[in-house]
Amino acid sequence: MSALPFSELAARIRARFPAVAERMSENRQPWLLVPAADLLAVCQLCRDDPELDFASLCDLTGWDLLRYPAQPPSDAIVVAYYLHSLRHRHHLTLKALAPRACCTLPSVSAIWPAAIAFEREVYDLLGVQFSGHPRLTRILLPEDWEGHPLRKDYAYPAAYHGVPHARAGQWFEDGPARAPAGAAPPAGGAA
Amino acid sequence: MSSDLLIENQHGERMRLSMGPQHPATHGVLRLLIDSDGEVVSRAVPDQGYLHRAIEKIGECVEWAQFVPYTDRIDYVCAMNANLAYCVAVEALLNSDPATAVRVPRRAECLRVIVAELNRISSHLIAVGAMAMDLGAYTPFLHGLAQREAVNDIFEKLCGQRLTYNYVTIGGVAFDLYPGAEQEIASFLDRFEEEFRRFNQLITNNRIFRERCAGVAPVSAEEAIAWGLVGPNLRASGVDWDIRRDEPYGIYGELGVRVPVGRGYAGARGRVGDCYDRYVVRLLEIEESVRLIREALRLLPPKADKPSDPLGGHQADVGKQLRKPPRGEVRVRTEAPRGEMGYVIVSDGGKQPYRVRCRTGSFSAVGIFEHLMRGIFLADIVTIIGSFDIVVPEIDR
Amino acid sequence: MNLGPGVDALARFLAGPEPAWWASALAACIVWLGPLLLIVLPIAALGQIIERKVAAAMQRRHGPNTAGLDGLVRFLVRCLCWFLPRATQERLTARLCRLPGMQLARRLGLGQLVADGIKMLGKEDLIPGNADGWVFRLAPYLAMCGALLPFAAIPFGQHLVALEVPVAALYVAAAGGLTVIALFMAGWGSGNKFSLLGGMRAVAQVVSYEIPVGLAIAGVVLWCGSMDLQRIVASQYNAHWASFLGWNFFQSPFLALLAVILFVAGLAECQRTPFDMAEAESELVSGFNTEYSGLRWGLFAMAEYAEMFLVGAIIATLFLGGYQSPFGEPAIIALPAWLAALIHALMLTLKASALLFVMVWLRWTLPRLRVDQVMRLCWITLVPLALLALFGVALTMLAAGSVAPGSAYGRIPALPELHLTPLAHALAWVLPVAIAALLIVLARRQHGRLHPDLARLSGAGR
Repeated sequence: MSALPFSELAARIRARFPAVAERMSENRQPWLLVPAADLLAVCQLCRDDPELDFASLCDLTGWDLLRYPAQPPSDAIVVAYYLHSLRHRHHLTLKALAPRACCTLPSVSAIWPAAIAFEREVYDLLGVQFSGHPRLTRILLPEDWEGHPLRKDYAYPAAYHGVPHARAGQWFEDGPARAPAGAAPPAGGAA
Repeated sequence: MSSDLLIENQHGERMRLSMGPQHPATHGVLRLLIDSDGEVVSRAVPDQGYLHRAIEKIGECVEWAQFVPYTDRIDYVCAMNANLAYCVAVEALLNSDPATAVRVPRRAECLRVIVAELNRISSHLIAVGAMAMDLGAYTPFLHGLAQREAVNDIFEKLCGQRLTYNYVTIGGVAFDLYPGAEQEIASFLDRFEEEFRRFNQLITNNRIFRERCAGVAPVSAEEAIAWGLVGPNLRASGVDWDIRRDEPYGIYGELGVRVPVGRGYAGARGRVGDCYDRYVVRLLEIEESVRLIREALRLLPPKADKPSDPLGGHQADVGKQLRKPPRGEVRVRTEAPRGEMGYVIVSDGGKQPYRVRCRTGSFSAVGIFEHLMRGIFLADIVTIIGSFDIVVPEIDR
Repeated sequence: MNLGPGVDALARFLAGPEPAWWASALAACIVWLGPLLLIVLPIAALGQIIERKVAAAMQRRHGPNTAGLDGLVRFLVRCLCWFLPRATQERLTARLCRLPGMQLARRLGLGQLVADGIKMLGKEDLIPGNADGWVFRLAPYLAMCGALLPFAAIPFGQHLVALEVPVAALYVAAAGGLTVIALFMAGWGSGNKFSLLGGMRAVAQVVSYEIPVGLAIAGVVLWCGSMDLQRIVASQYNAHWASFLGWNFFQSPFLALLAVILFVAGLAECQRTPFDMAEAESELVSGFNTEYSGLRWGLFAMAEYAEMFLVGAIIATLFLGGYQSPFGEPAIIALPAWLAALIHALMLTLKASALLFVMVWLRWTLPRLRVDQVMRLCWITLVPLALLALFGVALTMLAAGSVAPGSAYGRIPALPELHLTPLAHALAWVLPVAIAALLIVLARRQHGRLHPDLARLSGAGR
């Protein structure tokens, strides 16, 4: 039972998967970039290797890189896996990129059941498809919602079931500024 | 007779019951779709999202400090802890670059522990009281609520609010203690201990209550970890893990937090990690919180004249740092009453967060429901919901 | 007609020395409805407010405490004194509202009763679209019947009983069983799945709990040698000034145990917490009466309190001396008949009300059992216990060398035939109680060990 520093964790994983890259965020938080093809195997290793023993997936989330001032610019969706070992008391952050064009990653829900709900949320809000997920449906938004709100290019729908989202004169910074003519009744349309 | 009572024959002779979103025992607007054969539930699928308010999306549209009031709404049963979780995370982001480092005054750290633990007490009182109410015992709930009111009175004097406090701020707390607050909190704790004993005499050792909870939906330690349970639900399964002790933030490291774990308290019929353990762990945490508040009151440095005094102040100056925070990301977790409240904060160096992600305890607790709710009685469903201490705004955010 | 001396006397009073059948029937109805209208229905109506007040006291809050009768007084003054000028009316109202009784009414929230009644009558009578019309409509009335019919055979006084038949005990149990049909009709007829589940639970539970109820009644029947409730009450007469010593409850620990069993089973029959499976607010929303509103719901609520009162009255009749006073009963029966009847009716009301209070008290103390635990309690605990107690009663009677001969129409002061010598009486108490205590101590030693954390939480280790 000993906590390994990030460099050793990374070395253990990279010994098996050379495609995994060590990265550091601008404020010096280290993480591993895992290619989508290796993701499942890396996660399996992380959980099952007795030295790593990442039995718990603390969090799984993602964000859109579209407007992030990174070098080089990217339009992918990042999915971040925050792993923690209760036995060794060490942490690891894995990240995988899901490009906008083919926004799919393998699901890790078979490795950590906790991911079932997390991946549904990421799918719901960011539109990342997780292949192999037992029930990849929306979790927070209604089934018939259009779009994935946490994407940076998300446009607010003008109306939902005939209920306009913006009242007359209301304006969203990054929404569909004004409801397209005819798409939504004006304010008080229900009355 | 209406033929849709026995509907959806693809499930054989099962009845599909929609429990919620308006139902007395789902603690808000959680909905469970239940396939049952009479009293025995063969499958129950939670359906959440009725209380989704897009708080994470809002986080991307407001400035750093403006998001604090929204954290109140993430978990309004323990808004202090929700404030604290976000503020600790933003401070960690600022501290990740020496140029923007912020040092929270020590008095503010003590005050944070006091309000967070007071709020933990009142939140756990709701949890255990509501669980007793779900099992049909109404009186303990009201006795617990009376104590929660006392906590709310203190908070109201402290920050003017009774539910959504917006008290903890980035870099400290919004207000210093009002005159006489220390004595009031101390005397509340003394009164509370007596009331808490009476509460336990009334319900905790009640035979019916114990039999209702014993052995219901036990979660083993491995399951609890794999399903991402956190906080009291994780500890009830016998996992000795508390962020306040193991990854301390603020002054928790000095306080020596003692962590209760589930031990199969229900006796012969009980199993480690059953509903009764989840209930008892919360009671023991209340007990520990009382001790922590006393300890923090003892450590509280005297008030200084300058609010940003590093020892006796209550609010460090963070205005400049928040206008230009470091670029990058940070993940910080804190121990809220419903377990780990972890923030992932991504900053592009601007006035607003690039992404705020809040991971909450109830969200993963609901995730395990479908796994647990098989082959149990209909009445056990409310026991399970109550024992996991579900707070719906925290699930749906 | 021979409907018992009380009814016959009334019939003769109504229609001469040889009353026709209709006169006898009318007399029986009057004797039945008298206590019903004067005692049972007011208590059933008050039940709600009693319940709320007890709950409030237990939860250290005021309960209904704002609605006094002031508004009612103003309304009555307006109606009755319409000819007075408005200012005088107001002064009169104010004067009346300052009376000490009005203060008390406000304190007790009596106005709530009136307000609730008006609200109940004024509410829309909803019938769900897919309800089974007449089943849904009929159920509340049937529930009320089930709660009120048994009172015909409960003696409220020496002659105050409408249905004095040799099988009165059976009749009471049978007529009380009507309620379960009503509950199931409500559950099925509502066209709501929660209601249906509630109805199913109600049937399963009430039918099961009929057995301990029957066994408990059988124990008393065995002891008293009669199924006639009048005779059972009479056999509990004791000429001593401490007349409660003659009550069945104090005759033998086995009878006392049967009384407790009857009380627990009675709670279950009334669907009260901890046995409120059929309602189970937090599980089944409100079970069988989820879909009811207005007057129909009110009838269910009243039937519930009437039934609780009925259970209290039955236990009082069988075990607690019925309408007899605990002290000085010989003096009371020496009083003029009307005065004695009044005191007797009051006594039974008090006893039943005390038991009703205990039921309310329990409701606000205990959590609810689970459905399988309810069944287990019935079949694994109560039924064997009741059988054991029944056996114990028989054994005690054999040991006393006396079997009470059955005879109809017993009347106070006919002394009971069964006499235990003081030594036998003492032994009959001491032996079973000692054995039971030993068993309980052993069981606690085996199972009742509390974890030290739990003991500390409830302050046991202080």
